Amino acid sequence: MNYFTLAWKNLLRRQGRTSLTVLGIAIAIAVLFSLLSFNSGYEKQLTNELNNLGIHILAVPKGCPYEAASLIIHGGVIPKYLAETDVGEVKKIAHVEIASPVLLQQFYKDGTPHIVYGIKASEMTRLKSWWKVEGRFFSDDESGVMVIGRELAEKEKLKVGDILPFGPAQTPFTIVGILERTDSQDDNFHFLPLEVAQELFQKQGQVTAIAIKVTDVSKIFDVATKLEEIPDIQAVTTSQILGTIMNIVGSVRTLLFSVIIVAVVISAVGITNTLLMSVGERVSEFGMMKAIGASGTDIAKLVILETLLISIVGGVLGLTVATAGSSVIEEFVKKVIPYAPAGKLLSFQPQFAGLCFLFSLVIGIVCAIYPAAKSSRLSPLEAIRSYINE
Amino acid sequence: MNDKILVANKLTKMYRRGNEKVFALYDASLSVPRGEFLAIVGPSGSGKTTLLNLLGCLDKPTWGNLELDGIEVSRLKEGELVKVRRKYIGFVFQQFFLLPTLTVKENIELPLLFSGKKSREEAVKEVIDIVGLSNRASHLPHQLSGGEMQRVAIGRALVNSPKILLADEPTGNLDSVTAAAIYQLFQKLNQEGLTIIVVTHNLELANCAHRVISLKDGRVFR
Repeated sequence: MNYFTLAWKNLLRRQGRTSLTVLGIAIAIAVLFSLLSFNSGYEKQLTNELNNLGIHILAVPKGCPYEAASLIIHGGVIPKYLAETDVGEVKKIAHVEIASPVLLQQFYKDGTPHIVYGIKASEMTRLKSWWKVEGRFFSDDESGVMVIGRELAEKEKLKVGDILPFGPAQTPFTIVGILERTDSQDDNFHFLPLEVAQELFQKQGQVTAIAIKVTDVSKIFDVATKLEEIPDIQAVTTSQILGTIMNIVGSVRTLLFSVIIVAVVISAVGITNTLLMSVGERVSEFGMMKAIGASGTDIAKLVILETLLISIVGGVLGLTVATAGSSVIEEFVKKVIPYAPAGKLLSFQPQFAGLCFLFSLVIGIVCAIYPAAKSSRLSPLEAIRSYINE
Repeated sequence: MNDKILVANKLTKMYRRGNEKVFALYDASLSVPRGEFLAIVGPSGSGKTTLLNLLGCLDKPTWGNLELDGIEVSRLKEGELVKVRRKYIGFVFQQFFLLPTLTVKENIELPLLFSGKKSREEAVKEVIDIVGLSNRASHLPHQLSGGEMQRVAIGRALVNSPKILLADEPTGNLDSVTAAAIYQLFQKLNQEGLTIIVVTHNLELANCAHRVISLKDGRVFR
């Protein structure tokens, strides 16, 4: 027997209370760990996704830049359009390598939104040179054909050659290609030739945005300035989008962290209270220990060790639950966080796990200090007498 | 070597209750030779337990002196008193105070853990034999009878090889047959040279002792 087993056996005496305290720490640590992992994963994935856009500047109709950001990241739809003739104007600007019009439309099928991306295949495949397709891509003047993202294909159980009735009029489309996984929102889109999409949704001559690639990235700002000289056009660069989104997410994150801090403080106060109660109940036991040769330090040591055991078990439990449940947590977080990028946000990162575990130990020690000091100062005599007077 | 293991001179313990001074113990003087079996008797509230706690260094006197094996202990600091208790005193309580999740063996081992002794197996085994619980060593307290629990408590008091065993109503929670077995154990320990001081209401136990001291209203009577 040593202090460790003694502390452990003491905790076993109050299993209900011990498990509740463990649970309190576990929840605080699980939430903290998830949030830290999410925090780093989010920024990484978002940057990654914007880089994978292959687009340096997006020319969009004048309006709210947040809408534009949403448009690019989510494939959301804004009810404003540019004239297709603007594309010609854009192409005249110096340093523009590619300017490709896109039309984004959304429709609901069985209650879930589907995004339709009308594109000029010849230009878009140059913008997104990494695109690989199973089957083939359509050419710009084809109709009745469609390419879909891999995730969409899996969700809807579609394969190359299938015919899909589609759009407001349920026009049959042949799926000629499935885009290989890109880990971006592209995985969820229906791609149609631009003209077909315009016809299908009755937006002839209208486009949602013009995707622009410049010849030299140092000229992005110049090109954006020139673009704004065209009436109706607002230029949004990918770095602006990143900044805007990080601003919004930043405030959400601050709020979340404040909630976590409150949760951690509540759980710490709860633990301290539990320990004080337990020390109060065990006055006579500590008195006996002193009578048989324990010093105040021995007793303080025991109380601290018991708390540490609780927080170690709680910390490990919290980390396990957070890691095991990360997919559930991720799904939930993606619903509540604005502009969640595609791909995995939460991944197990040892440095955060270590940090959280350390934090649980710190909570344990901090919570144990007062009760331990109190129990070590008990006079053995009063301790025993309190039992007799009960 | 001093033939008195314990000398108390005018030990007094005073409490204040409002403006009133209450003497739990007043000018108690006694000396205990090595190897004596001493019983302290008296009605409740007479100061028996106070005296025992003072003798066991669990409490400090308001005034008066206490010498334990030639050491003046009444003015020692708590940190030094711990060492004195570990070395000289074994305590047995009326309520046993066993830890319910520890086995008999572990309960007896507890004082050795606190005093930081490394090799404990042997001492624990020896004490378990002395108190007659060899076949109960791995049992938990709730599996034991009252008499057996008190034997565990006595074993725990003995394991540090104390010079004096102090017992506060050791048979208070036991029936007369079980109590008789505990007296026999005390007598056996005393014959082996241990100084024993027992506070008791029980006259049969008091009769086993070499000497009986009476307390009344905080004063030593006889």
